[in-house]
Amino acid sequence: MNYFSKFLGAASAVALSCAAVAAQAETLFWSTQAKPVEEAQAMREQVLSGFGGGVDYQPNDGGPWLTRLQAELQAGSGSIGVLGALHGDFSAMDPADLVDLSDLGVASASDTFNGLAKLGTDSLQYIPWMQASYIMAANKEALQYLPEGADINSLTYDQLIAWAANAHEAAGEPKFGFPAGPKGLKHRFFQGYLYPSYTDGVVRTFASPEAVTAWTKFKELWSHTNPSSTNFSFMQEQLLSGDAWIVFDHTSRLAQAFNERPDDFVAFPAPAGPTGRGFMPVLAGVAIPKTSPDMDAAKELVAYMLKPETQIATLRATNFFPVVDVALPDDLPPSVKAAGDAVAKMSGSADANPGLLPAGLGDKGGDFNRVFVDTFERIVLANQPIEQVLEDQKGRLAAIMQETGAPCWAPDAPSEGACPVE
Amino acid sequence: MTAVTTQAPDTRRAGRTVYAAAVVLLCAWVLVPLYFLFINTLSSPDTVNSFPKPFVPEFDTGSLAFFAGFAGMLSALKNSILVAGMTMVMSILIGAPAGYALSRFDFRGKEVFRLLILLTRAFPLPLLALPLAVMFIRTGLDDTVFGLALVHTTLAVPFAVLITFSLFSGIPMELEEAAWTLGCTRLTAFTKVVLPLILPGITASAIFAFVISWNEVFAAAVLTIENRTLTAFLLQNLDTSPLHLKFAGGFILVVPALIFIFAVRKYLFAMWGIANR
Repeated sequence: MNYFSKFLGAASAVALSCAAVAAQAETLFWSTQAKPVEEAQAMREQVLSGFGGGVDYQPNDGGPWLTRLQAELQAGSGSIGVLGALHGDFSAMDPADLVDLSDLGVASASDTFNGLAKLGTDSLQYIPWMQASYIMAANKEALQYLPEGADINSLTYDQLIAWAANAHEAAGEPKFGFPAGPKGLKHRFFQGYLYPSYTDGVVRTFASPEAVTAWTKFKELWSHTNPSSTNFSFMQEQLLSGDAWIVFDHTSRLAQAFNERPDDFVAFPAPAGPTGRGFMPVLAGVAIPKTSPDMDAAKELVAYMLKPETQIATLRATNFFPVVDVALPDDLPPSVKAAGDAVAKMSGSADANPGLLPAGLGDKGGDFNRVFVDTFERIVLANQPIEQVLEDQKGRLAAIMQETGAPCWAPDAPSEGACPVE
Repeated sequence: MTAVTTQAPDTRRAGRTVYAAAVVLLCAWVLVPLYFLFINTLSSPDTVNSFPKPFVPEFDTGSLAFFAGFAGMLSALKNSILVAGMTMVMSILIGAPAGYALSRFDFRGKEVFRLLILLTRAFPLPLLALPLAVMFIRTGLDDTVFGLALVHTTLAVPFAVLITFSLFSGIPMELEEAAWTLGCTRLTAFTKVVLPLILPGITASAIFAFVISWNEVFAAAVLTIENRTLTAFLLQNLDTSPLHLKFAGGFILVVPALIFIFAVRKYLFAMWGIANR
């Protein structure tokens, strides 16, 4: 009985305290970026603390992020002030739900990025916020096994495979690491690196003879890849633990390795194939949903994010690079120096062949990625014949392109209407 | 005869060994992961990434200190406890009478009701969260501890009903009838005779409700913003965090739930006494 009266007491205390819910005054920054706890903390303390109006920075998984946003849009009122997300997240939305930002007077220094940010309309629907890319990194111990005559800053895929094979032999176990885990970004490697490097396309050339070569080469590389790679999602962990010596991943997913043991690792550009050095720039943006409670504060915050000082603070906090022209200071963390250097070499190389983020796919972006992940799983993990898998998956890819009507993006040649799978 | 007397202690000793081994194995099953969580929490990042792991923690509090300075941890912890507490109370207040009615009265559609009550668990939360959030925003329940507790109660009620139903069914109707003949009303017979007998069982379903609420992420992440629960606050961000912070965050999430279960364990263990009768 006593127990029950305690229960009742607790219940009434609870009811009282939830009546005292404080009203919010800070602008809510609802983001899918800078999610790891250390980055979120740095965003709050180093980046957003300088904003006068006060910001509540809340990073989320994609699912809750989108569900909450949709709920506020449907309800017609909400608490989200500013959105932060990847280009792909915004392109999946209806541009009408975002406030037109062209009159804000801020934009990135890159016309390509500004073009993407229009989401197919005539005005900026989000403002490019920060950028990153995917690079390679290696334990310095592995450098001695580089094949003869290979320059680490201008490797080819063949040299990379030979290197991984040498390291495999020397260590007695496969030492190449690939983020093929559930949260790994493997699909970006195929879309932005392997395909552009071998076929000079992604969609048009999906099932071409060159694509067959590309997958054959990748299978060769996989034979020297740590088989636990299907559990790896953040290659910095495997670099630090020594499970992998040579890895591919997103710059911010390698940062911890460089920051903790800067002298042990090197960052270098992705390898080149027959049709150039494919690489994919990653773009994040900030936008304002039309239900934003305090439009002025939200616009101020968006403008604040684009200031050069903020951009440098963001770089330190998240390892994402500025999108406006800024002079980078000298005292940046090791990871930023290493990654910045590798990205610069990669995009500046004579044979650079940038593969842009998929655009115009709307909410089919996930299905598009799925095609590449399935292809990988069937060809590489299940060992099914390459031609047949590509032929199967080609139909799915073509259906997605037809349904969305998305035109080709680089490096595919431009198309009239939906990008065809040839 | 003599053969039997010499053999009996042997068999008993073997039985005891097997019993002890089983006990050790079961304890290890639970304790070893917790112990590893503990030592990795109290290790420096270097040690966490190295192999083999040490068996003695080095008491490096760096990872925990990081969370101590993490904005909003305490209020998130408070919210988690509030939501879990309210869920516990509400699911018992709603579930126990339903369980009592199911076990004591015959009414049309009883079997269907028992099945239907499980249906709240049949729909995945990500599917329900969107319409729920829209409704909550419109009614003003959005971003309140009470609103989230309502959702968690919906998730916990089926278990509360089914657990209390089987508990009430285990208590003979004759006990209540005897109380009535001795001057009890239906209510006092319940509070003086039945309730003390099933209190441990109620505790068990309360713990269940507490844990369901404590572990739920999706609804919490969508339905609360300022008043986040600890799980919504930390769990989403932990999966992309470095290993040593994952361990420390996991430790922080596990400890309050463990403390709670320890605090109510005596009520819980008594339940098996009832079940054995």
